[in-house]
Amino acid sequence: MLRKTIFWLVVALILVYMTIPAAVVLMTSVSPSELLEFPPSGFSLRWYGRALGYDDFQAAFVNGLIVTAIASTTALLIGSGFAYLVDRYRFPGRGALEGILASPLIIPHFTTGLGFLLLGSRLGLAQSYVLVAAAHVMLVLPFVTRSVYVSLRNLDPNLERSAANLGASPWRVLRRVTMPLMVPGMVGGWIVAAILSFTEFTASLYVTAYRTQTLPVAMYTYIREYTDPTIAAISALLILVTIVVVILADRFLGLRRILSIDRS
Amino acid sequence: MRRRPFFLTFLVPSILIAVIFLAALGNVLQYSFRAFIPGSLDVGGFTLENFSRLAKPIYFWVLVDTFVISLATAVFTLLLSYPVAYALVRTRSNGLRTLLVVLSITPLFTGEIVRTYAWMLVLGSDGFLNTMLRSWGLITRPIPLMYTELGVIIALVQFSMPVMIILLATAISHIDRDYEKAAANLGAAPAKVFWTVTLPLSMPGIVSGTVVIFAWTMSAFSTPQLIGGGKVLMISNLVYLQGLSSFNFPFAAVLSLIALLAAIGSLAAMRPFTLRLERKAALH
Amino acid sequence: MGRDMEMRVREREPATLGDEGASAVEIVGATRQFGPVVAVNEVSLSVRRGEVLTLLGPSGCGKTTLLNMIAGFELPDSGFIRIDGRDVTEVPPYQRDTGMVFQNYALFPHMTVFENVAFGLRMRGLPAAKVKDEVGRALEMVKLSGLGERRIRQLSGGQQQRIALARAIVIRPKVLLLDEPLSALDKNLRGQMQVELKELHQKTGLTTVFVTHDQGEALSLSDRVVVMNRGEIQQVSTPIELYRNPVNSFVASFVGEINRLPPARHMRRGRELLLEFPQGVQLVTSAPPRDFEEGRKVHIFVRPENVTIVPAVEDLRPNVVRGRVVTHIYQGSHTVTRVEVTGLGPIELRMRGGEVMKQAPVGANVGVEIDLSEAVFMSE
Repeated sequence: MLRKTIFWLVVALILVYMTIPAAVVLMTSVSPSELLEFPPSGFSLRWYGRALGYDDFQAAFVNGLIVTAIASTTALLIGSGFAYLVDRYRFPGRGALEGILASPLIIPHFTTGLGFLLLGSRLGLAQSYVLVAAAHVMLVLPFVTRSVYVSLRNLDPNLERSAANLGASPWRVLRRVTMPLMVPGMVGGWIVAAILSFTEFTASLYVTAYRTQTLPVAMYTYIREYTDPTIAAISALLILVTIVVVILADRFLGLRRILSIDRS
Repeated sequence: MRRRPFFLTFLVPSILIAVIFLAALGNVLQYSFRAFIPGSLDVGGFTLENFSRLAKPIYFWVLVDTFVISLATAVFTLLLSYPVAYALVRTRSNGLRTLLVVLSITPLFTGEIVRTYAWMLVLGSDGFLNTMLRSWGLITRPIPLMYTELGVIIALVQFSMPVMIILLATAISHIDRDYEKAAANLGAAPAKVFWTVTLPLSMPGIVSGTVVIFAWTMSAFSTPQLIGGGKVLMISNLVYLQGLSSFNFPFAAVLSLIALLAAIGSLAAMRPFTLRLERKAALH
Repeated sequence: MGRDMEMRVREREPATLGDEGASAVEIVGATRQFGPVVAVNEVSLSVRRGEVLTLLGPSGCGKTTLLNMIAGFELPDSGFIRIDGRDVTEVPPYQRDTGMVFQNYALFPHMTVFENVAFGLRMRGLPAAKVKDEVGRALEMVKLSGLGERRIRQLSGGQQQRIALARAIVIRPKVLLLDEPLSALDKNLRGQMQVELKELHQKTGLTTVFVTHDQGEALSLSDRVVVMNRGEIQQVSTPIELYRNPVNSFVASFVGEINRLPPARHMRRGRELLLEFPQGVQLVTSAPPRDFEEGRKVHIFVRPENVTIVPAVEDLRPNVVRGRVVTHIYQGSHTVTRVEVTGLGPIELRMRGGEVMKQAPVGANVGVEIDLSEAVFMSE
């Protein structure tokens, strides 16, 4: 019994360590003062107002939406197709292709960012959304592919055989049986891709210009110049939104299963 | 056509994107062999000067520091993540499990900038930690954590825990409880069961988790950048300085290349270990 | 006469009929190899329209591969397949008009019962009203009307199996293919389903090919049984023929329980055949099936129901041999008894009820009477 209590105490302390930063951000975001004070002397939403009204942040938010929408959808299409390929077919060069498309997981984001920056300058795309979206697609593709692949692996092959046996052509099998059953994996992958793209910082620092900068980049610039809690407000908003999305994803899509934590 | 429907439809886009990516990396490779022309964005002819520059002490020590910080981070992340992962998998309460999952995974999705900024608020001399310790009378002067390696590591560990927890939780959840029951049945006390059965069987997860975090931390940027504040330099910061401050793309390219090779190298070096461990634990 | 039947593949009825119209499925010389393993080895078989044909054999004998060849999920390396006279070897599964019931049922989890059963009809472009009718009728036939709106996960194993059946029969396929359909059910349910399958066949008259490793099932459900081993057909017969006249020792041991006596030397004595076993044991049969070659021993297979226990004192009668009771296995309606018999080794016999356990307890010396009138004789 004692052992159990100690264990849970340790776990609790670790969890405190893990959540303190977020808690501090939330606290600071509602502090009325410009300087840091703990605990905050009052409650004020002025920093939220400032954050939401700040031009650069507004523009960056919109940029983020544009880039994320393009990148995660493109990654979804390419990644689902690729997952299907890997699940079913053998072909020469498959291993190499898998390696290349999975490598952004290992390659430092700044290397990818620098590479795309150099490539983009060469092609005259240095100031465009296309460049940013392309880099993001590369970065989030492995997550989409993995998520879709997991759901394909769990697909009973007899289901597709049965559909074919009952008269469905390959296209109809895909549309009526395979894809509906792939949807959880696809949606999960798409959400992960969208979140990762929207919050991506390091590579974006390289491939964005002032015109196309995403929210994290805009926040970075602000942090280097000002020390007021405006960033705390934006961060708090992002944290809250993320919590909601994660809870929903877990409840409705079995995020746990997608990440393979569940025993089943 | 009958044998492989949709093959080309799915293959072509994948190849296309792979080619684009290789082109991007190819540029990095190419630039690392070109001469830097100060004050200009153009590059000169073929040279190996960028590589030899790496041997200079200041740059060399940055590489070493990166390695040390990554190693320390990986180890501490493992130590702190294991209890949480274990609790997450083994608790019988669904509510508690959901809570742990949310707490563990959410930070992963809030983004580097938010998390790094949060640590700035905690670690600063007027930050949360120091203010609290002072108000409880435990210290009189602020502990310097910002702009120190310790501070960077503290933040990096918390950064890495979600991934480590996921990897460990997966490994632990795949351990067949029957093994533990058998050990208990043969007379092992709970602690013994853990050390002799559970821990060894979760070894594949431990090793792959440590390796992944190590490789990942090698490329950490925003934490050393903002919390290190120029005093703690990892490879990533050096790339930034050279690339986006000095516009010395060739040298930045070399550094990026080295970082890439280091990451791939460390993963490759661990592969024989992970494979052997996976085979040991996979008796079914 | 005196042919050596042991090793030859033999069919009691011709495999290919001259009149192609009467065979729903024809397999000619089909071979399929997976690496070094030959799963199906030059198999030729004809399935008559309207019959229930069972492919029976141990795992790995090739029966499932053969079934998949008919459905189109496996392509033969050589040979060809005809359905209703049309060569379908190159035709993809969705154009073959067969109806398959998979071992794990493969019901679409994201569709309701109705949508599952309707699937094949919709693929064929049937108008909605007709689909509704046909589905209703199919569900009635499997005694599950009214479950149309249920989700698959809400159904029990037995119900799922019937829906899978309904889904396959509603399209009135040229041939119904069943891959070990009853193996996932528990014993009681299985017995019940066997009866229902028979009734279903009577109602629909569909040509059916069944795959199973359970010989009891094969015997009870089929018009004809094809026994396979290691990719080759061993025998094709009606169930009774199969049981009474197995053509080789594999079939003899596989179908039903059987005792295999040690090889015996044979000697003619007038119209009788004398069989000599070790330890001087002799059995005699007055109606030997045929002559056996000189010098070759005879293998005899005797069914447990043709062996009885008699009091030891009667061992002077012909075909009664002494033995010692080793075990009894009580099964309710009958008891299986194992007796170590002089010169013949362990013999299993089957007697009704359980009295034998009292009359001849374990360890007792008894007489074992062997009735050879239905025994199977094979030359070495």
